[in-house]
Amino acid sequence: MLNLIRKDMILQKKTLPFMLLFLFVYLFVNVSTSWVAIVFCIVIIMNAFQTDETSSANLLLNSLPYTRKEIVSSKYIGALIFIFLTLLTIFIGNWMIHREIMQWEILLFITSIVMGLISFAFPFSYLFNSKYLLIGFGGVFVVYMVTLSFIPNLNDRVRELVQTVLSLDNSLFYLGIILSVGLLYVLSWILSIRIYSRKVF
Amino acid sequence: MMENVIELQHVYKAFKGFELKDLSISVKKGFVTGFIGGNGAGKSTTIKLIMNLLKPDSGTISIFGMDYKKNEKEIKQRIGFVFDSNIFYENITLAEMKKIIKPAYRKWDDTLFNQYIDMFELPLKKNLKTFSKGMKMKASLTIALSHHAELIIMDEPTSGLDPIIRSELLNILHNLMQNGERTILFSTHITTDLDRIADYITFIHNGQHIFTKEYYKIEEEFAIVKGGTNLLDRDTEQEFIGIHKTNHGFRALTANKQRTKNIFGDTVIIEKPTLEDIMLYTKKGEERC
Repeated sequence: MLNLIRKDMILQKKTLPFMLLFLFVYLFVNVSTSWVAIVFCIVIIMNAFQTDETSSANLLLNSLPYTRKEIVSSKYIGALIFIFLTLLTIFIGNWMIHREIMQWEILLFITSIVMGLISFAFPFSYLFNSKYLLIGFGGVFVVYMVTLSFIPNLNDRVRELVQTVLSLDNSLFYLGIILSVGLLYVLSWILSIRIYSRKVF
Repeated sequence: MMENVIELQHVYKAFKGFELKDLSISVKKGFVTGFIGGNGAGKSTTIKLIMNLLKPDSGTISIFGMDYKKNEKEIKQRIGFVFDSNIFYENITLAEMKKIIKPAYRKWDDTLFNQYIDMFELPLKKNLKTFSKGMKMKASLTIALSHHAELIIMDEPTSGLDPIIRSELLNILHNLMQNGERTILFSTHITTDLDRIADYITFIHNGQHIFTKEYYKIEEEFAIVKGGTNLLDRDTEQEFIGIHKTNHGFRALTANKQRTKNIFGDTVIIEKPTLEDIMLYTKKGEERC
């Protein structure tokens, strides 16, 4: 299975250093580090996902001695590696440019957000296609807006909730985040294996 | 008893507007089996079932005596595959493609790989998308042959290739068969390709297995019969699989050459059929019913 992750690296070989360099440059400009990191992670991970979405790639991978479980799992583990690489670059970049050590809370925050988004994006893309992701997110947004019209103070309530959670004992709060994101990721993983196992090529 | 490398038993698979019906096929070890049938007969579907790219609705499939549920990786380790379309990533070189595929196989052999690369004169450092159709097929074949596969499955490998490359391919396949350990399943609708290498022919039509026979027996059993239309009546027409009538006479296919000879004697001309004739007249016969 590590071979499959290595394959993603080989396929991204041309774009990955370029992307990471790009990321480095971004750090000079005063934009939110978290925002940039999240966008980069998602772009790199989904780019790797899309390369294997064609029917020919599926034909190839499934004809090689791999199981479908391994093919899906390689994407989930690979995503974690891509997150790590991106954060490492940002970490080093921040240290070199701004002479500051990034707070681990921020790293945790970025990782959680990306893992959370991937947990929805992967099963969705296996079921339909990643090109519908944007439409999917649009749909979610519409649902949100409609809900907003029924519960006008939804935004305030969410803000309130976040505040309450944040005011909790810190270590407990972080543990909770790690556990729930981890659980979400694993559930998404299992779901994706199920969806992929039933696919027809 | 001869060993079967591939065995399909009572396999059903239904799609919208197409189904494989009670397909039971076996492919014998150490031989080349030509897999024929028209477009949409179910050749590719059958091959995908054999490769576990599709799962049957019912029935059993066993490869090397093993089943995919328990031994998927073990089975695929021993298969080399060539598909009709390019299935490699397009934006990388052949050297990179090798780097991706090599670690998947326990028995990968770099020496063998380089031999084929030299023989086919394939560039290692050029993007695969710049390859011609013939080069892509050769690259595919090189990869299929570089891990000592015991079973080589080819889905229409010759489609869209010029006669010279087709002939080269057939020579290579012929040489591969010399040690008797290898098995090749070769699907095609260019039936003349099989004249040179096939030991067995498996013919499917409309999702159904029509026959699997040794190639030489086909020529013994089947025959093309030509004669005047006055010889045809309700009874004699029953002798044929399919009949083509013109103003000058008829041309028909029989599956029982000897019997046809006995019935018609010298009134007809009997000729050797080609595989194409067999495919064509089977289809005609069906339209008649």
